[in-house]
Amino acid sequence: MNDLIIRTEKLTKIYEDGYRTVALQDIDLTIARGSLSCIMGPSGHGKSTLLHLIGGLDRPTSGRVYLEDMDLTSVGSSKLAVLRCRRIGFVFQFFNLLPVLTVLENVEVSMMLAGVPQKEQRERAIEILRLVGLEEKCHVKPNQLSGGQRQRVAIARAMANNPDILLMDEPTGNLDSKSEQELLTHIHKVNQNGKTIVIVTHSQMVAAVAQRIFLIRDGRLENS
Amino acid sequence: MTRSKLVIKNITRKKSRFLFTIFGIAVGIASLVTLLSLGAGLESEVRRQSEQLGAELVVTPKGWCAYEQISVLTGETLPEAIPNEDVEKVAGIKGITAIPYLVQRTALRNQPVPVVGILSTQMMKFKKWEIDKGEYLLDGGSVVTGFGIARQFELNVGDALTIRGAPFRLSGILKEKGNRDDLAIYMDLATAQRLYQVGDMVSFIAVKVDDITRIDGYSLEIQERANVAVVSDKQLVRSVLAIVGSVRNTLQLVAAVAILAACFGIINTMVTAIHERKREIGILQALGAGRETIFSLFLYESAFYGFLGGVIGIVGGVIFSYVAAPYITQNEFTAFLGSAQSVEVFNPDVVGKAMLFSLLVASLSGIYPAFQASRLSPVEAISYE
Repeated sequence: MNDLIIRTEKLTKIYEDGYRTVALQDIDLTIARGSLSCIMGPSGHGKSTLLHLIGGLDRPTSGRVYLEDMDLTSVGSSKLAVLRCRRIGFVFQFFNLLPVLTVLENVEVSMMLAGVPQKEQRERAIEILRLVGLEEKCHVKPNQLSGGQRQRVAIARAMANNPDILLMDEPTGNLDSKSEQELLTHIHKVNQNGKTIVIVTHSQMVAAVAQRIFLIRDGRLENS
Repeated sequence: MTRSKLVIKNITRKKSRFLFTIFGIAVGIASLVTLLSLGAGLESEVRRQSEQLGAELVVTPKGWCAYEQISVLTGETLPEAIPNEDVEKVAGIKGITAIPYLVQRTALRNQPVPVVGILSTQMMKFKKWEIDKGEYLLDGGSVVTGFGIARQFELNVGDALTIRGAPFRLSGILKEKGNRDDLAIYMDLATAQRLYQVGDMVSFIAVKVDDITRIDGYSLEIQERANVAVVSDKQLVRSVLAIVGSVRNTLQLVAAVAILAACFGIINTMVTAIHERKREIGILQALGAGRETIFSLFLYESAFYGFLGGVIGIVGGVIFSYVAAPYITQNEFTAFLGSAQSVEVFNPDVVGKAMLFSLLVASLSGIYPAFQASRLSPVEAISYE
């Protein structure tokens, strides 16, 4: 089991605010360490919900999520926060950078939450931004960057604490094809460095680089 | 990146809102500092005036209220109620020196000025007065004035004064004492009694005792011999301070209401900020911020409002105290303070308390919004548009 980093068992999520919506039902999946996987399917069929449950951002109605041998559904919210901080990195479709902070500070903020000393934060942030080709943009605000550049900052931020897993929710959804291709190059590099990557996407270009694809329809896993 | 840097960046992003919230708390704290400074000034001035009265006991008519007791210190007009017969009985007690006062009032250039009828020789010795200009001559046609009155009305030795329609000559000006003695016209007791048509009555008697350990005995003896009440200087100060305290508490309550209003301003600002930054809270949660971290970040923000509002309020309050002190001391209650120095413009105790209070109320105001922020679901927050 050591080569599996994520595993779900009968994972179900039902929303009951006014009316009942079954977002996910009985999802069993496994993700190998160091793999690059895609979750695909129509909009509103549960892809992002699955990503949130895997990343410990949300809790399932029933079923289990395992990070290696740890059952995420049974740990408290503080411990989940620590896990998100140290072992999981998130990248979102709309970049979700903090607008009042510079590019450098956006990367540093993840490390601040992990308790990394200030000097080390600065050194590591510059190093990671160099890896994604944005070291010259360290001191600009996110609104001065293109979409592709913002997403690279988001990837740099997600990688700041050197997590095992990167979870990406439609990372190329707001990018033109050139920027998408550039970003995929960076994602591929990150994956080759041993990171496990799970990407929710509609893009065939992204799917093409994945080693495994999970198809979600109506909250159920169709095939993989 | 540090938490404090993140807090400052967040708090200052909406500049006008930030400034208005800061000013809200600053105005409350400024009023608190001003009123606390005034209160502390009043208290120390009461103690100073009491010390400079130079008497251990004050003999008053029976049934005097606290306001009349204050007037012994302030120099306000007092009713004439102790007959000469009682003055002589008190003065006849061995081991004490009795100094009778008749406190009345006249007008100089339409401004009220205290006129005090005294026994000149006794008073000179008792108060250890010295003459600055002229001579110390109190008779049917001559008066002396305190230093402050002479300066205020630009009086010189030899000037003619009209008091209650009668002409007087200013024979001398006393050296500055830095207390109420500077702010009165002094005339011979018998002349004052005749001028104000009070028969042989005086307002009160200041008593100095030879043996302080026997003060209670003297007090009893005075009350046995004459139909009067006796209050010690300490009791006098206590009763005056009780009134000063109640006035001060009322004023502080007014300041507290202003600060309370500012607290609601902070709560409003914080709740609005949380609503606007819901998505960013979600981002921080996704990056690994736990509930405690989110709670503390927002609590720091409100505490920062308290800190900055407190600093600005204290500076503003000190400046206002300095500028407003001369005007504040001109009202009826505080007139006896006599000088701007009576308001303690910078009192470290007041500054410390105001800063602590500002931080405390701002932090308390932040608890509810910070709790709301910490309870947000990460997915709900991050999906918020």
